[in-house]
Amino acid sequence: MASIRNRHLGLIYVAPALIFVIAFVLYPLGQLVYLSLTDTSLLGGGEWVGLENYEKAFADKSFWRALWFTVKYTVVITPILMGLGFALALLTSNNSPLRLFTRATIFLPVVIGLGTSSLLWYWLLDQQVGLFNKILLDLHLVEEMPVWFTKADPALAAVIISVTWKVIGFGMILFVAAIQSINSEVLEAAIIDGANYWQRVWKIIIPLSMRTLLLATLISAIGSMLAFDQFYIMTGGNPRGQTFTSVYWIYQNSFISFKLGYGAALSIILTAIILFFSAIQVFLSNRSGTE
Amino acid sequence: MTMPLLGRMALALSLSAAAFAPVSASAATLSLWARASSSNAAQHMVDLWNESHDDKVELTTIPDNQMVTKLATSVQAGDVPDLISFDLIFMPDFMKAGFLTDLTATLGADPNQEKVAQAFKDLATYDGKLFGTGFTPDVSILLYNKDLFTAAGLDPEKPPTTIAELQDYAAKIHATDPDNISGYYFSGSCGGCNIFTQAPMMWGSGATLLPAGPDTPVMEGPGVVEVLTMLKDMWDAGIIPESAESDTGANFTATFETGTVGMQGSGGFAISSLKANHPEMNFGIAPLPGIKDGDQSSFVGGDVIAIPTGAKNPDLATSFITWSLTDEAQLEGLAKNLILPVRTDLADNQYFQAEPRYITTAEAVAIGQTPYAFHFNDMVNADQSPWLTMIQTAVFDGDVEGAIEGARETMLEIAAD
Repeated sequence: MASIRNRHLGLIYVAPALIFVIAFVLYPLGQLVYLSLTDTSLLGGGEWVGLENYEKAFADKSFWRALWFTVKYTVVITPILMGLGFALALLTSNNSPLRLFTRATIFLPVVIGLGTSSLLWYWLLDQQVGLFNKILLDLHLVEEMPVWFTKADPALAAVIISVTWKVIGFGMILFVAAIQSINSEVLEAAIIDGANYWQRVWKIIIPLSMRTLLLATLISAIGSMLAFDQFYIMTGGNPRGQTFTSVYWIYQNSFISFKLGYGAALSIILTAIILFFSAIQVFLSNRSGTE
Repeated sequence: MTMPLLGRMALALSLSAAAFAPVSASAATLSLWARASSSNAAQHMVDLWNESHDDKVELTTIPDNQMVTKLATSVQAGDVPDLISFDLIFMPDFMKAGFLTDLTATLGADPNQEKVAQAFKDLATYDGKLFGTGFTPDVSILLYNKDLFTAAGLDPEKPPTTIAELQDYAAKIHATDPDNISGYYFSGSCGGCNIFTQAPMMWGSGATLLPAGPDTPVMEGPGVVEVLTMLKDMWDAGIIPESAESDTGANFTATFETGTVGMQGSGGFAISSLKANHPEMNFGIAPLPGIKDGDQSSFVGGDVIAIPTGAKNPDLATSFITWSLTDEAQLEGLAKNLILPVRTDLADNQYFQAEPRYITTAEAVAIGQTPYAFHFNDMVNADQSPWLTMIQTAVFDGDVEGAIEGARETMLEIAAD
C-alpha cells in the first residue's frame, strides 16, 4: 500500500516534466509524423498520401547529396573544434590574468548570433570588399584576391573558418572546466614520478577528461548535422547546390516550395539518422566510461 | 449609505479613465502587416492616415522571408490582420489559395484604380476578380557610374539603349583598368535579383519567360538567348568580376558602392541609398535596355495591399486601401518621401522635380511588367531554382542552349504540380 502511494507521489513529482515533454516534444513529434504522411502545403491542402513522401525522399538525389555534404562537413569540422578547443584549454587552463583574458577573448564570439557572425565573415571574405582577403594580399600570402564561394571546397573551408571562430570558445570552456576538475595531486604525483608535460597530457589529462570530450563531441556533431544558418547566409547552397545541408534542403522544400508534408518526411528521416549515430556514440561513451 | 474605501477608489479610477477615453467611441484600430523591406514606405502611409482619421492603423513589420508562413498560418488559425502588404509576386499563389478577400466591387468602381500601374492590376487579378492593388512599388533600372563612363571616353549622359551597346560600354570601362574596374555586375547566385534585373532585358525584346500554366510558353523569344549570351561573353572576357558567381544577393548593392563597377541592374531604391551613403558618387539611372533601341523595360516589384480572408474590419480596411490610391496619399505619403507612387499619372510630380532620376524610375513603372506565375518561389527564388540554374549554367558554364532547355523542362514540371 505504501509502495503504491510512493509511486503516485513519484508520478506527481515528475508530472510537470512529463507534461512539458508531452506538450513540447511528443505532441509536436506526433504532428510531424502525421504531417509527413500528408501532402500538406503552406498554402493549404493536406490529403493523406501514406508513405508517398518517404518514397519520394528516398529517390530525391538532392536530399542525399545534401546529407552527404552535411556528413562531410561534420566529419571535417568536429575534430577541428574538439582538437583546437582542447589545445586552447590546455594553454589557458591555469587562472593567471593573461590566460583569463585570453579565455575571455576566445569565448567572446560564442555570445554573437550565428547568423550575425556568418554575415560578418561573408563580407570579410568577399572578393570585392573583404578585409580578410585584403590582409592575405597585403601579407603576400596570395597573389590575387581569392574568391571563396565559387567552388564547393573553398566555400566549405570559408564556412569552417567562420564557425570555428564563432564556437571554438564553447568547447574550450568545457575542456577548461574538465581540466581544472582533475585533482592537482594526481598531476603533482606524475611530475614527481618524472612524467614530462606531454606524458601528463596523454596519460592523465586526456583520460580524465574523456567523458567531457565525448559529450562535447556528441553535442558538436549533432549541431553540425543540423547546420543551416551559416550555409544559408554564406553560400546560399551554391555553387550549383553543392553546399546544401540537409536542414537547408528541408527548409527549401518546406518554406520556399511550400511543401510542408514532404519537408516533414525529410525531417523524420534526418532525425532517425541522427538518433542512430547519437545512440552509437552514447553507447561508446558509456563503454569508455565503464572501462 | 457609506461607500467602502475600495469602492470609492474604483469609481474614481473608472471616472478618470473615462475622461481620457477616445473622443469617438466607435474608433477602431486596424492592424497592417508589412514586410520589412517595404515597411519604411508603409510607415509613411500609416502616419499620414493616422494624422487625419479617428480610426487608426497600426503597422507590424514582418521579416521578408516569414511573410508567407505568417499569412498562411494566420489564415488557417482564423487570426489575421486587417490589412497585409506583401511582395506582389506572391499574389497569384495567395489568390488561388483563397487567402485574400475579393475587392472587385470596391476597386472596380474606384477611378484611381484605373491609373494604377498595369503590372499591379494584372498581378492582383485571379479568375476575373480583383483581390488587391499596388501599395509601395519599386522598379528595376540600370545604374551606371558616370565617372567611369567619362574615364572610358563615353558620354555620361548617354547610357546604353541596347544590350549590344551595354556590352560595348562595359568592355570599354573594364579596359580602362582591367585589374580593378569591372564593366558590369550582377549577383550570380541570386534568383530574385536576376529576375528583377536581367529578365526585363529579355522580355523587353518580346520574350515570354515563366509559364502561367503547364501548357503555356516558357523561355521563348530571342531576348532569352541574346541576353544570356551577352552575359556569358562579358563573363568570359573578365568584364564581370569573379565574385559575381557566388553573390547570393548580399552584395547586390555593396559592389556598385565601391565605385569599381561601370553598370549594374538595380532598383529605384538605390537612388536614395546612394545619395545618403555615397553623396560623392556621380551615378546615373536609365531604363534596362533590350535587343533594339526602344525595347526598354523594367520589372515592377514592390508590394501590393490586400485584405486577408477573415479580417475583422473589412469595410474600414477597404477604406484604407481606396484612400491609399488618392492624390493625397500618393503624393504626401509616398512622393514627398521620395518613394514611387503606384499611380502612373503621378510619376511627374512636384517632389520629383528636383531629382530627375526619380522621374526615370517612376516612368519605368508604366513600361514595366511582372510575371504572372504560380509557384514563383519554386521557379525563381529557390536557391536551386530552374531560373537561377539556367543563368548559372549559361553564363558560368557556357551552355546557353542547354541551360534554356533545362529551365523550360523543370519550369513546366513545377507549373504542372
